[in-house]
Amino acid sequence: MVDTSANQLFDLWKKQLEEGTQAWARLVSQQVPVAPTPDPWAFWRPVLDQGLQTWAKLFAQMPATPDLLTQWKQFLDQWIEAWSKVLGQTMGTAEFARVMGQTLDSFLVAQAPMKKAMDQQVEQALQALNLPSRSQVTAVAKQIVELEERIERLEDGISAILRRLSDKEPK
Amino acid sequence: MGQERLADIVERFTHGFAAAPPTASPETIKQWQEELDRNFRRLRNLHAMVASPAEPKTGPTPREEIYKKNKSRLYRYGSSRRYKTPLLFVPNLGISRPYIFDLLPNGSFIEHMTREGFDFYLLDWGVFGPEDNDLTVDECVTKILPRMAKKALETSGASELTVLGYCMGAPVSACFVATHPEIPVKNYINMAGPIDFSKVGLFGLWLAKEHFNVDRFVDTFGAVPADMVKAGFKLIKPTMDLSTNLNLWWNLWNDKYVEGFQALNKWANEYVAFPGEFFRQWVRDFYQDNKLYRGELVMGGRPVRLSNIACPVFVVGAKEDYIAPPECVRALVDAVGSAEKEYVELPGGHISLIAGRGASLHCWPKVSGWLAPRS
Repeated sequence: MVDTSANQLFDLWKKQLEEGTQAWARLVSQQVPVAPTPDPWAFWRPVLDQGLQTWAKLFAQMPATPDLLTQWKQFLDQWIEAWSKVLGQTMGTAEFARVMGQTLDSFLVAQAPMKKAMDQQVEQALQALNLPSRSQVTAVAKQIVELEERIERLEDGISAILRRLSDKEPK
Repeated sequence: MGQERLADIVERFTHGFAAAPPTASPETIKQWQEELDRNFRRLRNLHAMVASPAEPKTGPTPREEIYKKNKSRLYRYGSSRRYKTPLLFVPNLGISRPYIFDLLPNGSFIEHMTREGFDFYLLDWGVFGPEDNDLTVDECVTKILPRMAKKALETSGASELTVLGYCMGAPVSACFVATHPEIPVKNYINMAGPIDFSKVGLFGLWLAKEHFNVDRFVDTFGAVPADMVKAGFKLIKPTMDLSTNLNLWWNLWNDKYVEGFQALNKWANEYVAFPGEFFRQWVRDFYQDNKLYRGELVMGGRPVRLSNIACPVFVVGAKEDYIAPPECVRALVDAVGSAEKEYVELPGGHISLIAGRGASLHCWPKVSGWLAPRS
């Protein structure tokens, strides 16, 4: 019974997806709206209607147990997984990568001069307030990192000398 | 108008339901009572999560800091140290924090390995700031990693060590092992680490030369901000948040699940920035030019030849890994010069390969089982 219901739900989902896609295709292809008043339910009605009918049928055929919720969860999981696959396929195309790359590039082209101007202004403002700027603090931090490097090299050198000395010591 | 009202649909639905009233057995009533009870617990936990969010405690395995270099730290974990060869674990740099490997008691990779008796060292690369923007992959391979390996050898008193690279840590540590024959590496393990970047999936496509100008990106931002890293990883699986929240609602009645979710959620939303020059070299040499696999990479003046890795090698790929697909991980087996090498492909994704319940069943015993006789 549970398997049949799950299959019914899955068939219903497939039908909904197909009809939904067709409805979207119709909506997109319409040049001039035919209906005088827009109907916001036009796309969702077949989906909702079929869903409710099936659920009504299921409720009528068998006692309503929490299994129905489990089936609903499975249905949602499958729905998300299906969308994930569709999106994955779309994002895996060279065209998507090209568009994304172009969008990012345009953003960076616009962002670079703005960021530079902003950084300069902030730098000047901090200088006027007699406060250290980010770049000055960063420069100090870099010097500390370099000092740490030097100390490490000295440590290595001292360890090497000590090792050599201990090797030379008569046993 | 030809439009049907929602009320009409509901009316038909309720009529259909009323036409054949179901008979509820005592068993069904009991099931509904249980469901109702779960819903109360869901609401209670939801209220607790929203009204008084508790900071989840992570990293329960005791450890001590052995060494620190700039932002990077080397930690040694407490264990019986049954095996004398220390294990140096090299995770990814940037992206996320390494406490995912020691997330909660009774359920972490580090805890498993220390319980098994391995002398476990973790290299925590740290969170880099703008002062580290000049750090390169080269420096990680030739300066940080050799020092950490030496410190692990010194403190353990062992003459050899095992290196385990996970995710990005695998190609980085493979470069280190291949270019530093003076560091005695006894075994090398790659877990979900991409090697052949021509097979690296969506990121490989998005970061390809013809689509992504890495120079412009790094020159503009200086580093790769954590928000950008987050955006990239959210984009690669856009339905992830939806299914995560759906699963949370479904399991919200379960206190144990909620505890695990909070810890994992904390980690999953704590993204870490990349140093600019590191990202530039990483994208250009690894993703765009695939220099590691082609044998064209040079680090610290030394050519990186994966065929120079001659120790026993164990490679673990995850079947549903969309960040490092199994075929790009598996490539290491063919590239190394080792006589003893093995590849296994396990269920799970990039993270669930090493963290979570599935990992405790499939992955951890495999890794410890392979390593034990060689340690």
